[in-house]
Amino acid sequence: MKPTRSLFWLLPLAALALPLFINPYHQYVINLILVYVLVGVGFNIVVGNLGQLAFSNVAFFGIGAYASAIFTTQLGIPWWLTIIPAGLAGALAGCAASIPALRGVRLFYLAIMTLAFGELMRWTYIRTPFLTGGSMGLTVPPAELFGWVLETETQKFYVFLVIVVVIVVAVGRILESRIGRAFLAIKNDERAAAAMAIPTGRYFLLAFALSGFVVGVGGAMYAALVGHLSPEAFDLVQLILHFAIIMVGGLGSLVGSIFGAILITATPELFRDWPGFEELMFGIVIVLVILFLPRGLASLLARLHPVFKDRYLRDD
Amino acid sequence: MLSLLPQLLVSGIAIGMLYALIGLSMTILYRATTVVNFGHGDLVMAGAYMVLIFTIHVSLPFIPALLLSLAALFGFGYLLHRAFIWPIIAGPHLSLAMMAIAIGYAVRGLVRLEYGSEMAKMPRPFEEQFFFAYNTVMTLDEITFCVVVVVMLIASYFVFSKTRFGRIVQAMFQTQRGAALVGINVRLYNNLIWGVGCALGALGGVMLGLILVLDPDAGVWTLLRGFAAMTLGGFGSLYGAVIGGLIIGVLEKVLGTYVSTAFIDITCYLVIIVVLLVRPRGLFGQHATLRI
Repeated sequence: MKPTRSLFWLLPLAALALPLFINPYHQYVINLILVYVLVGVGFNIVVGNLGQLAFSNVAFFGIGAYASAIFTTQLGIPWWLTIIPAGLAGALAGCAASIPALRGVRLFYLAIMTLAFGELMRWTYIRTPFLTGGSMGLTVPPAELFGWVLETETQKFYVFLVIVVVIVVAVGRILESRIGRAFLAIKNDERAAAAMAIPTGRYFLLAFALSGFVVGVGGAMYAALVGHLSPEAFDLVQLILHFAIIMVGGLGSLVGSIFGAILITATPELFRDWPGFEELMFGIVIVLVILFLPRGLASLLARLHPVFKDRYLRDD
Repeated sequence: MLSLLPQLLVSGIAIGMLYALIGLSMTILYRATTVVNFGHGDLVMAGAYMVLIFTIHVSLPFIPALLLSLAALFGFGYLLHRAFIWPIIAGPHLSLAMMAIAIGYAVRGLVRLEYGSEMAKMPRPFEEQFFFAYNTVMTLDEITFCVVVVVMLIASYFVFSKTRFGRIVQAMFQTQRGAALVGINVRLYNNLIWGVGCALGALGGVMLGLILVLDPDAGVWTLLRGFAAMTLGGFGSLYGAVIGGLIIGVLEKVLGTYVSTAFIDITCYLVIIVVLLVRPRGLFGQHATLRI
């Protein structure tokens, strides 16, 4: 690791001091940003790094959130113990979503199928009221950590920050390793990757499971943050948010997912009085990004200073 | 219970006609430019909203409003391809898909901004009537669906096989590069095909507006039914999309009646998932999967 890269650690360190300066509402938005950092990082693994058109991210997010909420409400497990199971539930959903890909379904076929999977999950939340509270939603008890109840947004912030840093660093290491290079090889040319003896099927499964895990943990954090889950939260407006994060941030860039999440999550909070404005604005923003900045914010940052360039992308 | 079957077939085929029309319009775009228009459902609903705007806010009679709406969607499809799809047509599939999705969302956002808070109902051109024959009921709406779609299918058959425009389009379905080599203005004809595809979809949307309360989210409802028709028929097959749409329409009614009403909503999702898992090329499609 080049010495300059350790500068990135300043980001979470500086964030530690953040709660001193802001009010609880802004703290809530910042916690939401932390949730969406995980969502963006997880989504980008499959779409950006593996290069597959998989739209099932909202399903992973919803499954993670509902898994955490159901474990706490039905089984009485404290929240912190549900984080890993929620991630595993997401990973399981990721494995399920990768089955068509393993059968050779690619491109638009995969996109349509995963879109149908996401809608099917939303239907499931509504139709299983004994578990999910149906369309009325499910109220989650306050998150608990070793018997210590997370009441204020500031308490949640510190817990979330630790989780996000651990996962982002871990994903970064994975993407820089042999596994990450295999993902990129598959993205560039799947046949060539297979010809180089890369077991493409195994890496598909791994990428989807990893993506599902990361997003599922994000879902568990989301459940603890908002305290009430309803099926509408996991509809297609949610999907455009996820897309906007990775498109604006930069496809296939870990740095991009983080900055995309910061930029995109904060904006809809400004427009919540005008339903529809979010969709309109994100639609236009994505169109503009595709036309004029196809590599996203990450490419701008990389031009600014090479430290922002993802190490696994440095050769292209 | 079995005595219901003729009735279910009749109403299933009627609604299936709409799915067939929407699936067909998406297939035309896909065949021409190999772009799957993920925003198509929103454009379909935009057709119905345009009729609403022209009849209520401009107070035109229904038929001129319908024609204006189709013209508007033709123009929109033309510009959409020219301004947003063509510049990135050589780019990765992901960008193309994202572009179509983003435009669909922008259209939906615009509609929600204007009509999100109210239940919008498109004005009807005629009063609903019922016709009884052989123990089955058919509404005037359903007869309209069947007549309009069958006329459109016959018309598009003639346009595609007999006119100069249709032959050029067929050449472009086969290979765009080859078409460009023999002097066809590929960009212009792609624009036109997108215009025609969007107008056809909008016609389907207007007919859906007869039976649905207009809702910004109905676009996704439509999109997934169009996808189900395309997937079942086989991606890229024109008559496959029509037959697929009819089968989905009937299947929705049959499953909804004999299994559970909850199945009406998810028949199309299940069809998409099962077909892509079991037989990805659908009924009439070409090879669809990557084998390594």
